[in-house]
Amino acid sequence: MYITWRRAAALAAMLSLAATSAHAQQGSGGTITVRVTSATEQRPIESARVFVLGTNLSTATAPDGRSTFRGVAPGTYTIRVLRVGFSEQTKRAVVTSGATTTVDIAMSVAAVSLAPVVTTATGEQRRTEIGNATANIDAASVVEESPIGSLSDLLNSRAPGVTVTSGTQTGTGARIRIRGSNSVSLSNEPIWIIDGIRMTSTNANFSTATGNGAGGNTGGNNASRTGDLNPDEIESIEIVKGPSAATLYGTDAANGVILVTTKRGRAGAPKWNIYSEGGTVVDRNSYPTAYSLWGKRPGETVSSRTFCNLQRVGTGECLADSTSALNIFNEKDLTPLAMGNRYQLGGNVSGGSDAVRYFVSAEDEREIGVLSLPTFERQRFDSAGIPLRSWVDRPNQMRRRSLRVNLNTMISPKLDLAMSSGFINVGQRYSLESNSTAGLGSQVFGGPGTRANGNVTGLGTPLNGYRAWTPGYSWQEQTAQSVNRFLWSGQVNWRPFSWLANRATIGNDFSSISDDNLLYRGEGPPLTATTRLGSRGINRNSTNNLTVDLGSSAQYRLFGLALKTTAGAQYIGFRAAIASTGSTQLAPASQNVSSGTSPVVNEFTTITKTLGVFLEQGVAIRDRLFLTAAVRSDQNSAFGTNFQSIVYPKASASYLISQEDWFKSPTWLSALRLRYAYGQSGVQPGPNDALFYFNAGTTNLAAADQPTLIQGALGNSNLKPERSTENETGFEAQMFEGRLSIDATYYNKVTKDALIAAVLPPSYGSVTTQLRNLGSVKNSGWELGVNAQLVNRSYFGWDVNVSASGNANVVQSLGDTPPQIGTTNRTVAGYPIAGYWAAPITSYRDKNGDGYLTYYADTAKNEVFVSDSVVFRGYATPRYTTTILNGFDFLNHKLRLNSLWDIRRGNLWYNNTDRIRCTRPNCSGRNNLKAEFVDQATNIAANEAAARSLDGFLQDGGFVRLREASLEYRFSPQLASRLLRARSLSMVLAGRNLRLWTKYRGVDPESGFNTTSGTDAPSEFQTIAPPSYFTFRFNLGY
Amino acid sequence: MTHSHMMGARFPRTFLRVVTAASLLTIGGCQAANDRVLAVTDPDIVFPNDVGSAEAAVGLANGAIGTFRNITGAAESTWLFGGLLADEWSTSSTFIENDETDQRRIREFNGSVTTMLRNLYRTRSRANAAIKALTQYSPTSRAMIAELYLARGYAELQLASDFCNGIPIGDTSTLPPENGTPRSYAEVFALSGASLDSAIAFANGTDAQSVLINSASKVARARVAIGLADFTGAATFVAGLPTSFAYRHTFSLTTGTNTLWGQGLSARRYSVGDSVEGNARNIRVTNAIPFASTRDVRLPTVIPTSGAINGQDGQTYARTTTMWGQLTSVDVATGIDARLIEAEVALRAGNAVSWLGILNALRAAPPKLGEIQPTALPPLTDPGSVEARVSLHFREKAFWTFGRGQRLGDMRRLLRQYGRTEANTFPQGVHYKGGSYGTDVNIPIVTDERNNPNFKGCTDRLP
Repeated sequence: MYITWRRAAALAAMLSLAATSAHAQQGSGGTITVRVTSATEQRPIESARVFVLGTNLSTATAPDGRSTFRGVAPGTYTIRVLRVGFSEQTKRAVVTSGATTTVDIAMSVAAVSLAPVVTTATGEQRRTEIGNATANIDAASVVEESPIGSLSDLLNSRAPGVTVTSGTQTGTGARIRIRGSNSVSLSNEPIWIIDGIRMTSTNANFSTATGNGAGGNTGGNNASRTGDLNPDEIESIEIVKGPSAATLYGTDAANGVILVTTKRGRAGAPKWNIYSEGGTVVDRNSYPTAYSLWGKRPGETVSSRTFCNLQRVGTGECLADSTSALNIFNEKDLTPLAMGNRYQLGGNVSGGSDAVRYFVSAEDEREIGVLSLPTFERQRFDSAGIPLRSWVDRPNQMRRRSLRVNLNTMISPKLDLAMSSGFINVGQRYSLESNSTAGLGSQVFGGPGTRANGNVTGLGTPLNGYRAWTPGYSWQEQTAQSVNRFLWSGQVNWRPFSWLANRATIGNDFSSISDDNLLYRGEGPPLTATTRLGSRGINRNSTNNLTVDLGSSAQYRLFGLALKTTAGAQYIGFRAAIASTGSTQLAPASQNVSSGTSPVVNEFTTITKTLGVFLEQGVAIRDRLFLTAAVRSDQNSAFGTNFQSIVYPKASASYLISQEDWFKSPTWLSALRLRYAYGQSGVQPGPNDALFYFNAGTTNLAAADQPTLIQGALGNSNLKPERSTENETGFEAQMFEGRLSIDATYYNKVTKDALIAAVLPPSYGSVTTQLRNLGSVKNSGWELGVNAQLVNRSYFGWDVNVSASGNANVVQSLGDTPPQIGTTNRTVAGYPIAGYWAAPITSYRDKNGDGYLTYYADTAKNEVFVSDSVVFRGYATPRYTTTILNGFDFLNHKLRLNSLWDIRRGNLWYNNTDRIRCTRPNCSGRNNLKAEFVDQATNIAANEAAARSLDGFLQDGGFVRLREASLEYRFSPQLASRLLRARSLSMVLAGRNLRLWTKYRGVDPESGFNTTSGTDAPSEFQTIAPPSYFTFRFNLGY
Repeated sequence: MTHSHMMGARFPRTFLRVVTAASLLTIGGCQAANDRVLAVTDPDIVFPNDVGSAEAAVGLANGAIGTFRNITGAAESTWLFGGLLADEWSTSSTFIENDETDQRRIREFNGSVTTMLRNLYRTRSRANAAIKALTQYSPTSRAMIAELYLARGYAELQLASDFCNGIPIGDTSTLPPENGTPRSYAEVFALSGASLDSAIAFANGTDAQSVLINSASKVARARVAIGLADFTGAATFVAGLPTSFAYRHTFSLTTGTNTLWGQGLSARRYSVGDSVEGNARNIRVTNAIPFASTRDVRLPTVIPTSGAINGQDGQTYARTTTMWGQLTSVDVATGIDARLIEAEVALRAGNAVSWLGILNALRAAPPKLGEIQPTALPPLTDPGSVEARVSLHFREKAFWTFGRGQRLGDMRRLLRQYGRTEANTFPQGVHYKGGSYGTDVNIPIVTDERNNPNFKGCTDRLP
């Protein structure tokens, strides 16, 4: 650290010294005051970005539409103003020493407008100058008018090429893929940057030393550190999609970069915004019914449900009597689902002067998920006098409190400071679910088709159709997480001369996380002989993510060209230190880890450091052709000892071709821009992946505990990061006087040196895998964005935004490693990562007409045929996505109706819930005398046929979903003032996850138990599916 | 003239010079400093340079023996899965890996088998590494070196007993390890014999630990011998070993508990095997020993007849035994094994009197089995025919060695050495979880091994 600071300071000093010596006397200069108004209403426009071309001077207008530049060297300048919703405007200004030049600029409303300024690694830049497609989400307005409960809601379906699959329980994270999956073995999640610093974005961030979830977590989806953020604090989100754009973000950015900018203060009188939201969380999904087939073996007289199934009925081994059915979710006294709720109360104030601007916000949010102790369980607790703990009553909930203070200070015209700080406190708890035997999913999906299925083992509680125990037992185990998180960053912008801007950013993302597990002695399910003896686990995780980012940009002209040179250096240091302790077999009534007789203690530390430098050269030719070339070099603590550094190049071109005199555009074409970009980026291996090392532990030898050393990793001294190379080209067209815009992109991305966790032969007697740079993965695809203002009248308006994308993912090579083979997923050269593979069900026919499909080894009698060969069956994640956002305005734009339709297709979704239900057994295809043939064939292929194929459970995952709808009414300022003495007032009625159309035979083709696990093949497995939200929100301004 | 023009080219050139200098400084000029900046110390790991001492060698040895525990009773091992494939255990689990093993239809990519196989090979490689380290830093620790040879030999014995022909064996001491060459079970038995011979040679002291390791190694060596049908040799190894001796793997609450208890009585994923299955006990399993319903005092078993005790799968009435508790040590090699080997040798030699005498001596004064101290059992009578004696012997042995990883190997030997067939030895008929029993008589080497270019799958699945 010390070395880094010293060198960073030296670099900054050298740059400033050079600038000072080169241009020691600049004179006192003059002042430019820019006034920005709307051309139609002559009202001042706030937050317009004002640039003085040829310099590094830029700022945003205050509420009065003004911005001022002082100390500007005498000369003639071009002033450019950009504002979303308005057409770009430029005007010349002549500056003389000691005088103030006022420039009035009137902005014309653009029917369709994208964010005109985007954030890049070298600072803010005009969108038209960049050779990449960029996606921008106007978070501030989306949150105000849409049902946004989390950051993943904010991202979902709002940018082409960005696929978000949200977790299921309240408070769980999401899976994000940008332009497909690049890596076979490493994370395919993008990195996050907030206010210029690297943000910790760990998914599946939950673990305890004890507890009955799978692998120390919940058995389903888990918390995500991105989920900690309060969407109401965010001004905008930009998504840098691939290596061609992410080069300067360095190693780790190959999967894309999500840039979060929080809200800033604006000069002027204090402006208060208060908002409140309340609503319900409702599970409107249809869950599968459990079936039991009652019958007798030949010669028996008593009908039972333990032997018979349709196969045995078909073969005559069973004489069927009847099928009984039970759907726990549809039984009022049995269902573990009830209406949840959420509320949100927050406010912010911003204001200040030209010298100091501030933004302060605070919020309190709570959401209670749909899981709720069933009525019959409440009655049991009540009658038996069992204490009903809050986490048993409602096991899934989240509470978040956030406080943010952002300050901007202009110390002098040449020096300004920006400070961002956010404190977040999150408390959440989850139900053990899906892949946890102790959890809910195994019990609620696994029971028979009858309530009369006996009692909980050894405890006498009637099961009422649950599999082995009832929810009250599962939920007595508390699984909770609390987070205290402080993100801060400070940025110094120093412009010693108008042509030179230096910036230094330092910041840290600190999280203190406590994962807790508690099961009192005498409580919980009879999972094992010791489960009900109690357990307590605590996992304390302290994470620091430090960023130091230095940059310097010079703008100048040479040979008639406008040039911009930027150099920078960046250091990122990540450290997570975990102390985990737990014990089982607690003392009665104790909740203290020290009372357990069987202790568990662990310690984990993760440290990675990255040091990178970059140099970028931009050239603007006649303000219509923009060329950029850059290079970044990184060194990282995770690289192998034989590999020192990596260099990533990039180049791009943006051409406003329609501005050429020779371009004969048709009258309907307002503007046309062509763009091309090439770039590389990488993903680094894990911190210890390059090393050969031993792990220390303990064992028991001859009745005495002893310390041990065993091989922990084989290491790879040649390990280097994956290198992704992307070519991207596209165009943007504005048509019909700006009423229609089209943005089309094609990309081709190849990842070389792909890190593959090569599975080692067991006979090595070593570790299971070794990371090697062996593979190659290609992603190619297209993205299309269409914005149209179809009708724009005072009484009615209609705007449409369509985003679509397609992706083809193929593993080009796995090096010398054989295919990676899983139960249903394989990674095979020539096919997509983690594609679904199975022996296909080739045909089925009820030959004897008995109504049941039966498997026989004799093909003449057999009624379900399954291929002997396992073949590729389909992608595990959607290949094609289309989002249609419709907006209708009524009543002079006071009333707005929004709807967001989401269409995804081109993939299979693994109905692993039904797979395990057929082995319980309680699925329709196995036990329902009226089962559809497709379900019967699916079961027989999996459980009776020689091939034992899961093909039938790999089902069409395509869907059409009405993801969001909202109705917003904005009161007129006069009415707002009269009613509440407010400056502004709006109300929003919104719904989320409202309707689903799909051929998928499971619950929901977005219901994944392992969404946050890093998998490239999420699947449904005894999972409570995503709920629907209905909310009502007030936005009040003073 | 604009401001920009006024600046001319002097400023950017200077700026570029400085940027270039700074970049060079960062990229290459100060690599040593960069290395210091990027250096990390992870307290979770131990580097090879730090294990060059006698104490570290003992740490490696402890690690190897700890892994040895994982192939017996400290983890889900082929002791349990071999028992599932044979008739010792029945599945009452939700795991498809367990079900297909019990159904004798094991897929090559069975994840549980993969873990078990890795532990067997790791026991070999870690024992080798520890032997090398002890030889270098603590050569006088002969008993410890002997125990490592025992661990290696025992792992090889279990590989040969449980897995199909085509078991890859390579030199694991190189980096990267050598790609192993597929060997037949007989070749692996021979390899095990060599390891155990080394164990016997090193355990030549008179201290209690040396004597214990020597005895255990001789029992394992004798098992190797009978695996290769060298009955005379087997008798030589176990001659004179006391019936009361036992080499055990032990457990504690802090370092792991008994998995036979954990997966059996505690989690109820394994149910004591029987010749009738299904909750109504109306599904006949041909050839299976009725371990539960015999109600033998060596294997006390709770047989539920209602829904009061369900297996982990929530549907099977799991039969549980109290033979092991949470911390009960497991017998890896005992004097009982020695006597049973002697009895079989006598049987092979046609000496029925001696054979029966040995078995009845054990029955008259049963040694403790886990937590069970059986009461004396009535003597057996000679069934009269060789076939019946063989059946009785292996049935008797199955009760004495229940759950200890010997039953599958013995059933395979019945096919190889006693002319039995798969159809009259292994479980047959309808399986209570659906379908029928398959034809597997051993466990396949798993898909992961195909990363070894020398391995193309099991050479055959013969017994």
